[in-house]
Amino acid sequence: MHDLIIIGAGPAGLSAAIYAARKKMNLLVLADDDRGQTAEAHQVENYLGIPSISGNELNDKFREHAKILGIEIGDGNDVEKITGNGNSFEITAGGKSYSAKCLIVATGKKYRELDVPGAKEFKGKGITYCATCDAPMFKNKAVAVVGAGDAGQDAAWQLIKYANKIYLLNKYPELRGDNRQMQEQLKTHPQVEIFNNCEPMEIKGEGFVESLTIKCNGNGREQEIPVNGIFVEIGSVPASKFLAGMVELNDKEEIVVDPKTNMSSRPGIFAAGDVTNVPHKQMIIAAGEGAKAALSVYEYLKQSK
Amino acid sequence: MVKVYSTPTCAYCVTLKKFLTEKGIQFEAVDVSQDEAALKEMVAKSGQMGVPVINIDGQIVVGFNRNKIVELLNIKE
Repeated sequence: MHDLIIIGAGPAGLSAAIYAARKKMNLLVLADDDRGQTAEAHQVENYLGIPSISGNELNDKFREHAKILGIEIGDGNDVEKITGNGNSFEITAGGKSYSAKCLIVATGKKYRELDVPGAKEFKGKGITYCATCDAPMFKNKAVAVVGAGDAGQDAAWQLIKYANKIYLLNKYPELRGDNRQMQEQLKTHPQVEIFNNCEPMEIKGEGFVESLTIKCNGNGREQEIPVNGIFVEIGSVPASKFLAGMVELNDKEEIVVDPKTNMSSRPGIFAAGDVTNVPHKQMIIAAGEGAKAALSVYEYLKQSK
Repeated sequence: MVKVYSTPTCAYCVTLKKFLTEKGIQFEAVDVSQDEAALKEMVAKSGQMGVPVINIDGQIVVGFNRNKIVELLNIKE
């Protein structure tokens, strides 16, 4: 039996792993094949000590750091079930089972899927959820970005290099978010057209995406825009479904943790990073929370001996 | 023959290529953001536009589906 199993290998999970390894805990990290939101980030420019780096490279650095300490990362392990029996937990993942005295859940968030007619049918056939991955495939094409928050603005900005026309669909009357400078540049860019107060209604095409129907200003009139690509950036949801019934989740499905110890409502299960109810979903915060959770596990195991 | 269709910016493409290299699998890599003919070939073969796509002796796998790739290449893990 392991002292600790960490589920998730992003900044929270791997920071927890590094702290736990230095405390000589017998630990295992389980990760699915989803590289996670860190790896998919186009550029990270607010991680202390690293002025600018792609999310994928930063994630590789986290993994290399963990490997130097001899931490075992079990990739390809989608956690299916967790059961608790008194002093330990049983995890079923990738067809195998593992047991541990404590768990740290650091599974982060996953993108929210678009829910309009055609959205499921055309996924991968013009609809994409990863601008960083797929923007280069739309050279000289017309595309739409659904969602105009920070992530949507960033997607539009990445697409300027490739697409010849970018429609940015914003459900609010004005662009919102942190990066004012980018917003001004998008507003005046000749390739970009911003639709404020608009929402997507339907996606149509023959085999692949050919158009997006939108509705604006709450009136009944719909407009069909010809596009080959649709980039969806409508937020994300915590990857906490497998814990339903095991620990308390809030109305956003985030794991509720004690802010001092990172322990969930169930003793022995801790959580850290974007999957928790700790505000500000940032990599550096996730890393700090992971460290806190690992140190709390150390204290918890010491006391329960 | 193993062929990987990818873009330079996609994290899963990097992971897939690294995985094949670690396992000692030889493959041809094409950058579909630069090579339009390869992009058309990828869409025709996989019926979709997401990367990465791997062609293992005519069998197409979309995305970094580790278990499927391990099975098709008969990799011992």
